[in-house]
Amino acid sequence: MAIIEVNNFSKKFGNKIVHKNIEFQVNKGECLGLLGGSGAGKSVILRSLIGLEKPDTGSIKIEGEEIVYKTEKELIEIRKKVAYVFQNGALFDSMNVFDNLAYPLKEHTKLNQQQISDEISKILIEFGLDGNEHIFPSELSGGMQKRVGLARSIIINPHIVLFDEPTAGLDPFNTIKIQETILKLKEKGMTSIFVTHDMPSAFAVCDRLALVQEGKVTCIDTVQNVKKDENNIINQFIKGYYV
Amino acid sequence: MSKFKNFLEALGGAFHLILETIKIGFQRPIYTKLILDQIYHIGVRSLPLVLIVAASSGMVMALQFGYGLAKFGGKLYVPKIVSLSIVREMGPVFACLMLAARVSAGITSEIGSMKVTQQIDAIRALGTSPLKKIVFPRLTACMIAIPMLSAGAIIVGVAGGLMVGSLELGLDTQFYLQKIFTTIKLNDYLSGFGKTFFFAFFIASTSCYYGLTVTGGTQGVGHATTKSVVTSSILIVAGDYFLTKFFLVIEQWL
Repeated sequence: MAIIEVNNFSKKFGNKIVHKNIEFQVNKGECLGLLGGSGAGKSVILRSLIGLEKPDTGSIKIEGEEIVYKTEKELIEIRKKVAYVFQNGALFDSMNVFDNLAYPLKEHTKLNQQQISDEISKILIEFGLDGNEHIFPSELSGGMQKRVGLARSIIINPHIVLFDEPTAGLDPFNTIKIQETILKLKEKGMTSIFVTHDMPSAFAVCDRLALVQEGKVTCIDTVQNVKKDENNIINQFIKGYYV
Repeated sequence: MSKFKNFLEALGGAFHLILETIKIGFQRPIYTKLILDQIYHIGVRSLPLVLIVAASSGMVMALQFGYGLAKFGGKLYVPKIVSLSIVREMGPVFACLMLAARVSAGITSEIGSMKVTQQIDAIRALGTSPLKKIVFPRLTACMIAIPMLSAGAIIVGVAGGLMVGSLELGLDTQFYLQKIFTTIKLNDYLSGFGKTFFFAFFIASTSCYYGLTVTGGTQGVGHATTKSVVTSSILIVAGDYFLTKFFLVIEQWL
């Protein structure tokens, strides 16, 4: 069953056409890797799935619900179900780690202060961040910021997670930590889209891969097929034949 | 011409932003703590600047008028002229120009930095509204703190004039105070004080608008901050003329 459906998605900025008739579906519990050269518009697709960008034409359905024509107020309900993990974490720099993690819990749950503290302690241990509650984002390393950003996004148990290059610029240790977290979320049945240039991570966590080129999805295939078929467009893209 | 068009676009955008903010701002939940934080940052932390400027301007005006009018034997008019001009014009306008510089720059650069580091997107992505979380607390804080600061500036400005009048110009303190109270009527005070709500609106709307529309990274934040300060200052100075006319008409009705 398709949880995310994108049909005839087109988008331009000024005179520059970024996407024309993008189409793809993501099934429940599946992780789709979105690949493409820099500037191919992968993040634009991801941002549109949560209503941060509006397509010029086309349809985006989340769990069967059309989101393109929804107002900001109506999108709040969608955003409780769909989490977005920003490339740089996008942590609130005026708040410490605890308050960043408490933000979605205070906004969208009826938990009391003690329950919020317990939830945060649990997730900090899960992400290997315990002891960092009172540290501000500017004092954290890039990898830790990404992990806090990821923890903040999933703390209210969304159905779908959109990852925007979560492993970019990370050392192997932090990359593996992020991969493990995504795999754990998959085990829990979470659906996700994974925008990345990091092919080992894409192979480790994705079920299918989609290639965005010249404003279109030119190929979607399973990771197994991409790996084994030398002539597959995605396989050739990974080897550097296409941009 | 295109600069003027951009200016008008910014005014329209800022006005629209505030309308949208007011529409959702009073819906629950209301973030009282955020509003109080902003009152502290905008109001309490601006207090020394506003009071120093108000005292200095009152003192300088008393000095200038004192020596200028002495040539014509009119030194006795100093209390009337200085207090009236501070209460009706100089107090609120100087205070708000100072606040336009300090508060507009602060708000625009803060919101702009949040925009370029995707924190505004994060607020939206986490199912909350930047208008409620960011704009409404700043707008409310400006509408509360700026008139209060201006009221303080008026009192301190008049007191500055009184100090120079009695210590430097040799005017009797009792006489100076008596002239202040017989000259200044409630409508004079309300005319000056009433303007400050409009000035607060100009400062809050333009600074939030320029902050939320920042493009082009950190350089863009710098440009937006400059534009915000310039626009709110222009609105205060140009708007002051029309507001003065407006309050004069109201005074005639009353």
